[in-house]
Amino acid sequence: MSTDAVISVQQLRKSYDKLEAVKGIDFQVQAGEVFGILGPNGAGKTSTVEILEGLRPRTGGDAQVLGYDPDRQKQQLKDRIGVCLQATNLPAKIRTQEALDLFASFYSRSVSSETLLKRLQLWDKRAAFYETLSGGQKQRLALALALVNDPQVLFLDEPTTGLDPQIRLEIHGLIEQMKSEGRTVVLTTHYIEEAERLCDRVAIMDEGKIVALGTPRELQQKSRSQSRIQIVTAQALDKAALPQWPDVVDMVLEDDKRSLDVYSSRPARTLFEIMKWLDQQGITLEDVHLKRPTLEDVFVELTGKQLRD
Amino acid sequence: MKSYIALIKLDLKLALRLRTVIFFNYLFPMIFFFTIGTFIGAKGDAKAATTVVTMSVTLGILGNGLFGAGIRALQEREMNILRRYKVTPITPTPLLVASMVTGFTIFLPYILVLLTLSHFWYQMPWPHHMLSLVAFISLGLIAFRSIGLIIASVANNMQEGTILVQLLYFPMLFMSGATFPIRGPVFSVISKFIPASYLVKGMQSIMLNGTGFFSAWHDSQELWQAAGALLLTMAVGLTVGGKLFRWEKEEKIKGTAKLWVLAVMLPFAVIGLWQILGK
Ligand SMILES: Nc1ncnc2c1ncn2[C@@H]1O[C@H](COP(=O)(O)OP(=O)(O)OP(=O)(O)O)[C@@H](O)[C@H]1O
Ligand SMILES: [Mg+2]
Repeated sequence: MSTDAVISVQQLRKSYDKLEAVKGIDFQVQAGEVFGILGPNGAGKTSTVEILEGLRPRTGGDAQVLGYDPDRQKQQLKDRIGVCLQATNLPAKIRTQEALDLFASFYSRSVSSETLLKRLQLWDKRAAFYETLSGGQKQRLALALALVNDPQVLFLDEPTTGLDPQIRLEIHGLIEQMKSEGRTVVLTTHYIEEAERLCDRVAIMDEGKIVALGTPRELQQKSRSQSRIQIVTAQALDKAALPQWPDVVDMVLEDDKRSLDVYSSRPARTLFEIMKWLDQQGITLEDVHLKRPTLEDVFVELTGKQLRD
Repeated sequence: MKSYIALIKLDLKLALRLRTVIFFNYLFPMIFFFTIGTFIGAKGDAKAATTVVTMSVTLGILGNGLFGAGIRALQEREMNILRRYKVTPITPTPLLVASMVTGFTIFLPYILVLLTLSHFWYQMPWPHHMLSLVAFISLGLIAFRSIGLIIASVANNMQEGTILVQLLYFPMLFMSGATFPIRGPVFSVISKFIPASYLVKGMQSIMLNGTGFFSAWHDSQELWQAAGALLLTMAVGLTVGGKLFRWEKEEKIKGTAKLWVLAVMLPFAVIGLWQILGK
């Protein structure tokens, strides 16, 4: 266990009456890391992060954020974290800049509203009422509000859900910027690409439990599913004549006899052997593809569920 | 401190940007002021004019307190606006104070407009104790905003809140003596248990009898009593409203906690009984 963990959670549990939403989870987040919590609806993502934000009391276990106990040192903690809530709103008739100035007044340190508006490309909208902003603009304002106290740790609860792909990319860029400034980010999402692209480590959560945790790469490698090598040759192949290449788990020759799918647990080595063999046989290679298992495959494998998109 | 100032500034701006706020705080009671005034012939009749002013102020205070403080707080909770504040280091206190200050700031000009209009339109003489009158009305406003806070804190959703407001608004308006004089033993007993009747009584005592807070005791006794009742309401309302304050609609309140609403009635039960038994 590293000592510079900014967030550390042990056996965290949360129940709502009889419903157990979080069932004893453990994880740590290091300084400067982007940590993803990936899971389907109702997995317990919001419950987890809102406990860490000091918004909801936990039912059991331990949690620390920046050395504070989110249940007992709410005020100090809230002063130093930035939060983007999944479900929230601002008054309809508040202007963008007014909202930033208002929230800035709540903290012991703050960034000027002008700096934030310019950075989040809201400067032109500084005098617009909240009700007139588009979904993407509202989300950018939510991120600006999360940054208003120049926080070391940010909690972003599904910051891109329901937004257009274009705007989603914009938000991804902003999150990368936050990371490059050395902030620690906890991000929940049910978009696989988001977790793959943005997160240093990902916890896959399902029904209140963490079913896997690691870097996106580690998770992919842990997968039971194999990489698939697809080759297309100029000449027809004879299934019976194909050799047993190392690490191959399965092979499928299509009806056209020229497209071959090879499933391998060590694709790089297998691919090399295939190339060698084709060369020896004098068979011309027309096309080759290597497909690694995606985080999505891992997710489906671990939870037996599809993520909503 | 800066959060108080920022919240008050913003609350004021938001209030002025909402047409409903202007309508219910100014125009609506003003319509009554002119129609009823004409109807009962308030022109040149000081007593009738006082009745009209009292009624308009009561209407305004009930609206400002129950709707302006109560329903609005409920709305902000229902729309997940308060939730956003909850993630910041502020406590409910600056929010409650800002709402109180804003309600008051918006209401004060209305009183002055009303008095000026009655003076020039109905030829009502200026009240002798203007300061006492404004102080008393302000107290009434804060007391009714406190009742609004209790409603917001005990209602679990908009529907419950609206029902509670209506349950309080109309009886208070009609039983207080604001709309028509209380006659008959039953009415006068009931009215003693209603916060709004103390508001009406106090105002009438200042405007009709020319009493001020610092007049001789046997003259000002009734006024002090009315002020005491409102002060109690305020204390109970702020305590209960602060205690039961909720940031999120998901935090439901237990059924039994709704009995707190009855706590507001407690001071009036005591004062009412005391008055009846004391006779
Ligand atoms: N305030 C609450 N009261 C009662 N049950 C709740 C409450 N909040 C969440 N739950 C329940 O707890 C479970 C976990 O919910 P949570 O919101 O933490 O999941 P989530 O992973 O954030 O889901 P989503 O992707 O839909 O946001 C769900 O079954 C939900 O219905
Ligand atoms: Mg959620």
